[in-house]
Amino acid sequence: MKNSTSATKRGFSLVAVVVAALALVGCAPATPEPVTPTASDVWIKAIPELMDGMAMTGVFMTLENPSEEDISLVGATNTTEGLTETPMEIHEVIMGDDGEMKMQMVEGGIVIPAGGSVELKPGGYHVMYWDLLKPIPVGSNVTLTLEFSNGTTLDVDAVARDISTYAG
Amino acid sequence: MTQTPAESSETTGVVSRRGFLASAGVVSSYVAAGAAGFAGGALTLNAASASTPEREAELRAQQQSATIPFYGEYQAGIMTPLQAYGTYAAFTLKPGTGIDQARAMMQLLTDDAARLAKGKPTLPDGEPFLATEPARLTSTFGFGPGFFSKLGLQGGLPDGFAELPSFSIDKLQPEYSGGDLVIHVGADNPLTVAHAARQLSRTAHTFAEPLWSQSGFNRPQYGVPSDQTGRNLFGQVDGTVNPRSENEFDAQVWASGGPSWFRDGTCLVVRRIQMDFAGWDKLDDTKKESAMGRRLSNGAPLTGSTEFDAPDLSAKFENGLSVIPSFSHVRRSRMGTDAEKFLRRPLNYEDGLLASGEPNAGLIFAAYMADIQKQFVPVQQRLADLDLMNTWTTPIGSAVFALPPGCQPGGYIGEGLLG
Repeated sequence: MKNSTSATKRGFSLVAVVVAALALVGCAPATPEPVTPTASDVWIKAIPELMDGMAMTGVFMTLENPSEEDISLVGATNTTEGLTETPMEIHEVIMGDDGEMKMQMVEGGIVIPAGGSVELKPGGYHVMYWDLLKPIPVGSNVTLTLEFSNGTTLDVDAVARDISTYAG
Repeated sequence: MTQTPAESSETTGVVSRRGFLASAGVVSSYVAAGAAGFAGGALTLNAASASTPEREAELRAQQQSATIPFYGEYQAGIMTPLQAYGTYAAFTLKPGTGIDQARAMMQLLTDDAARLAKGKPTLPDGEPFLATEPARLTSTFGFGPGFFSKLGLQGGLPDGFAELPSFSIDKLQPEYSGGDLVIHVGADNPLTVAHAARQLSRTAHTFAEPLWSQSGFNRPQYGVPSDQTGRNLFGQVDGTVNPRSENEFDAQVWASGGPSWFRDGTCLVVRRIQMDFAGWDKLDDTKKESAMGRRLSNGAPLTGSTEFDAPDLSAKFENGLSVIPSFSHVRRSRMGTDAEKFLRRPLNYEDGLLASGEPNAGLIFAAYMADIQKQFVPVQQRLADLDLMNTWTTPIGSAVFALPPGCQPGGYIGEGLLG
């Protein structure tokens, strides 16, 4: 039961977080309550061993915005103890002028369109971990807090998965 | 999530019926129709109504989108009516894999399998569009004897679960034998099977090394369903005496003894049977039928007229010889008691050519039973001792696995043993 990676269990904890966030902002009834986007299928590329210059990885998920206004994912903070001390970044992968794919920070964050969703996946948008201080084994879980342009935050739990079939 | 034995015994009647219906594939009309004997002929599609292009397109969409629930009292892929394609893949645990890693592996495999069963990709799926046609996809997991010994879980070994004795007919090859973990994938679409097997194998590979993989096929059960059981590559009807009712599954397949974590689990015997087509082709129909004890045309016993007639082992010709000969497969396999019945979900394989130029083909014999020692070994021993079919068939692979019961959302396969 412990360390469950099931979508259902994560779903429940996300609901709890969203409810908590709504409860907090509910203290200011005069202004419209900002909507917190939801996150599903949250996972992180596993790093079974730390190797020189390779102590980084990406977090992937599907973000949904149930509100009537665009909301952007503008930042993230690691909440896993001892995993890194370097700030996290919101990245995209684009083709450079030289034809090479390269990773860069997203100006203004990743837009989640009103009433729509956006997918963070390998080779595209991702939340970047730098300077890992310990490995992230396959099947382990990493926690982080997502920060949105409307001031809301969302705690998420990412399960570590391997993306290559026979990487040893 | 794990039921205590007391809870289980109180609710068995209700839960088990629900599990049975779900697992038997009451999800679309063609599935029910294909499960002749399971669902009582809820036949809505037949040759006449499927004859228009629109009807065929509708039928195809139904076939490809049909789903079998992953979660339930029993693992899917056992009571599920046999799919047209399947793969059994076995693995050996890596030296560094302990109970914590084995638990993580089963949690991840459970998550993958639950998503794939719904036609959804796995989390790290690089080919998500291959997941979109589940076609009655099931993924089933089991543990070999080495899983228990390597993890120090010998106390959890199911009753009667052990490696098979060696039989005189065996010519086992290591590339088709043994294994600590088995993943069985079945679906009515071969691309779906290949994709699911690769996704699940990738997940397993972090914790275990691939050992062998065997893929096979059957007559599809959709479209125009038939009351007749499927055939093997010798043309024989194979699987006539399978359990079909809930009571028969309870009696033959689902474990009810010890240990408690294994309740509603079952044991799997996978044997790769190579067929000698050159020899078989030399036989005339009478010889082929007497070797089996059944008619080739419809699988009826030589003493009956339809497939499901009970064989009359005492019937004799006027000259005193038995109608069903002493060496026939039917007589040898039927000499025991009702306690020696079990479920067969065989796959045919055809895998290129042997060095001789003959087809490298045969049967992936997959049998499911509550207790291997009580139900399977006596039957296999009698067949090894005397069964004319041994002349043209050779077991070249063999493995046994303990398949845990199913799980509910939030749980994982094997939680009773690893939790």
